[in-house]
Amino acid sequence: MSAPGGQIVVDDLTKVFGGNVRAVDQLSFSVEPGSITGFLGPNGAGKTTTLRMVLGLVRPTSGRATIGGVPYRQLPNPTQTVGAALESASFHPARTARNHLRIMCTVADLPMQRADEMLDLVGLHDAARRKVRGFSMGMRQRLSLAAALLGEPQVVVLDEPANGLDPDGIRWLRGLLRHLAEQGRTVLVSSHQLNEVEEVADRVVILNHGRLVRAGSIAELSAGTDSVLVRSPNLQALHTALTGQPVTVEPVDPTAVRVRGMSAAQLGNLAFTAGVELHELSLQRFDLEELFFSLTSGQ
Amino acid sequence: MIPVVRAEFLKLRTTQVWLWMLALAVIAGSLIVVGGLASDSVHTPRDVPDVFANANGTLLTAFVLGVLGITTEFRHQTITTTLLQTPSRWAVVAAKLFTYALVGLLYAAACAAVQLAIAVPWLSAKRIDFTLSDPDVGRAVFGPLLLFALFALIGIGVGALIRNQIVALVSGLVFILVINNIIPAIPVVKNSYAYTPAGAVTEILFPAHESTPGDVHLIGSGGGVLVLLAWALIPALIGAGYSMNRDIT
Amino acid sequence: MIRLIRAEFLKLRTTQVWFWLLLATIAVGALLAVANIAPHDGIRSEEKVPDLFATFAASPAYILVFVLGVLGVTTEFRYQTITPTVLQTPSRWAIVTAKMITYAITGALYAAVALLAEAAVGVPWLNSKNIPVHFGNSEVQHAILGTFGVIALFGIIGLGVGALIRNQIVAVVVGIIFLIVLENILLAIPVVKKAWPYTPNGGTQAILYTHGDATPVNGVHLLSTWSGVVVLLLWAFVPAILGAAITMNRDIT
Ligand SMILES: Nc1ncnc2c1ncn2[C@@H]1O[C@H](COP(=O)(O)OP(=O)(O)OP(=O)(O)O)[C@@H](O)[C@H]1O
Ligand SMILES: [Mg+2]
Repeated sequence: MSAPGGQIVVDDLTKVFGGNVRAVDQLSFSVEPGSITGFLGPNGAGKTTTLRMVLGLVRPTSGRATIGGVPYRQLPNPTQTVGAALESASFHPARTARNHLRIMCTVADLPMQRADEMLDLVGLHDAARRKVRGFSMGMRQRLSLAAALLGEPQVVVLDEPANGLDPDGIRWLRGLLRHLAEQGRTVLVSSHQLNEVEEVADRVVILNHGRLVRAGSIAELSAGTDSVLVRSPNLQALHTALTGQPVTVEPVDPTAVRVRGMSAAQLGNLAFTAGVELHELSLQRFDLEELFFSLTSGQ
Repeated sequence: MIPVVRAEFLKLRTTQVWLWMLALAVIAGSLIVVGGLASDSVHTPRDVPDVFANANGTLLTAFVLGVLGITTEFRHQTITTTLLQTPSRWAVVAAKLFTYALVGLLYAAACAAVQLAIAVPWLSAKRIDFTLSDPDVGRAVFGPLLLFALFALIGIGVGALIRNQIVALVSGLVFILVINNIIPAIPVVKNSYAYTPAGAVTEILFPAHESTPGDVHLIGSGGGVLVLLAWALIPALIGAGYSMNRDIT
Repeated sequence: MIRLIRAEFLKLRTTQVWFWLLLATIAVGALLAVANIAPHDGIRSEEKVPDLFATFAASPAYILVFVLGVLGVTTEFRYQTITPTVLQTPSRWAIVTAKMITYAITGALYAAVALLAEAAVGVPWLNSKNIPVHFGNSEVQHAILGTFGVIALFGIIGLGVGALIRNQIVAVVVGIIFLIVLENILLAIPVVKKAWPYTPNGGTQAILYTHGDATPVNGVHLLSTWSGVVVLLLWAFVPAILGAAITMNRDIT
């Protein structure tokens, strides 16, 4: 499994449904092996449609998507190359969890015990022989994940995998994704849980109305975005003290300002020497949620 | 009850099944009438009733529509909303029975109108007397109004009983098309044919025929109506009283 | 391909449709045997014995296997198991071919079961009436082989119709109404009825009844046995090919 083999490339992809619904619009981005990429966007932004085009389930109106340089439908061993779990559960209700995976094992020529191993891995050991009909939402989600990981794929594509998972499951998923990325696999995850994405993802791709609005690593996006919130009954004196310093100051409310370009320690020192009374001095970290809203709202 | 019935009509109107089933019923029925008139078996007014009665295969559209009318709710889980709004299973089933009986009637009326529009000029061109006041003709032309309504009711009943769309449809169609037609040929059970849907259709549409399949004993058209009502209401009652009360998950 | 076929059998085995349809096949087979022997105009002489073995394929009972075929592909769309199926096997041709083979074999197995049910009821009964049943008789063999062929092909026809239409209910309803209602209408209309020998039922009758040409159905002459086979093969393959080439490629959302 060489590293570039797992690159996902989306090239100028467009999908128009029924002649007028432009679900995805001239979208280009790439997803690198050995990292976790978060795929973000409001409801109806086109995430699922994009993932389905990457997986050859939906035919693009124009443009193309490749995995390791090859369109999905030409992959020689798809199960062992790409594992996918999509939003809608795709299980026959009368079939047991175990039989679902055994069918997949048969097609991919994997040993049958792989099915049981995966069920153990996702915590469905006790439900393995139960019909999917009676599964809870989180149990179905776990079964989808088991199916995605069955062939130890180089590329993992997950559409809102945390949906319905309990807190334990979410923590487990986080560990799993990190583990997969450490092994050099490509991980593309769509999600609405921005805090979760911020914590686990290396890169994000943000979509709105089918178009790319931002792509980059969390480090790039957050560069220069740290700020310090300063609250003081005497903002006038603070402003005076800050004149001439290499900072930008923006008002937050009548008693507070946000300062960029200086650390909290430097600001505290400055205020102390100028004799300005402070009621709050707090570091404001990069906030993906804020970035997300600034990029996707009001359009 | 009236709002529930109105909601049922709206549910039906906002999908496309009704249109396709109607088209199928009208077109297939007209083709059968055309086939009958074009063949050389119609010479006298006595041959006319069967031209219309032979179109009874289109009754299946009413059955299918009825089955879909209730099983689609389980298929797409709209049953959850329906039962949250109208918790009484009896009310839901009763509203559907009423709605689909009416729809069946409308289907039959549309079929009869088109068939008459074809047959009346054709028969007069063939110089065969045709009058709707003849009891046999009237029965063949208007009997389907009743039959369509009853078969739609059977569809609702079977759907309410079985809930699973494909199971209800396949078992219903296999019973009506395969098993029901074998019954007259089997000793011991053959006289039960009078009490089956196909037997009842024969009783209502072809009462004049002495030779019924397998020489089974029939019970007249009034009996036929009662038989079909029983086939509609018994499953509907069990459906409303039992199946519809099973867990909705 | 072997793996795909094995997976298809596993799919079939792990749901319950096969069981209920098999039960129906046994019941209908036995009932048909009774219906062929019991009435006054039933089987009364040795020449009529082949009818006992042709009856399952000749009656609408074949729709049981047709339905099995339709469900074999439409259930995948119904429950979206088509998503993992095409993710694992992107070639629609490979999927449809594997299913065609699976359902032809399954159809043949159902035919065997139906024939066994007919024999179990019919043979002892006929013997008690002093009508011998000789399996060496060429007409009996023709009826048995014909049943295997027709039922196996109806498995594929169902599959093809399912692949073409994708929607479970539409495929089942359209298929059954076409096979049982519309074909009879066709046969009743002058001129148009000349097309009937080329329908699935027309082909089936041609395959099952060697004496077909002598006894026209409703004034329409049947094709020869082998032409009947060709007709059914076309009904089996054309929808399946169109399905694999066109509808199976449509977006799966
Ligand atoms: N089969 C379809 N036919 C018509 N329109 C569709 C179809 N599938 C998706 N769309 C439309 O395409 C757009 C993008 O949908 P998509 O499911 O890709 O959004 P999403 O980003 O995954 O949203 P969510 O966060 O809600 O899952 C929406 O406007 C949707 O209505
Ligand atoms: Mg989505």
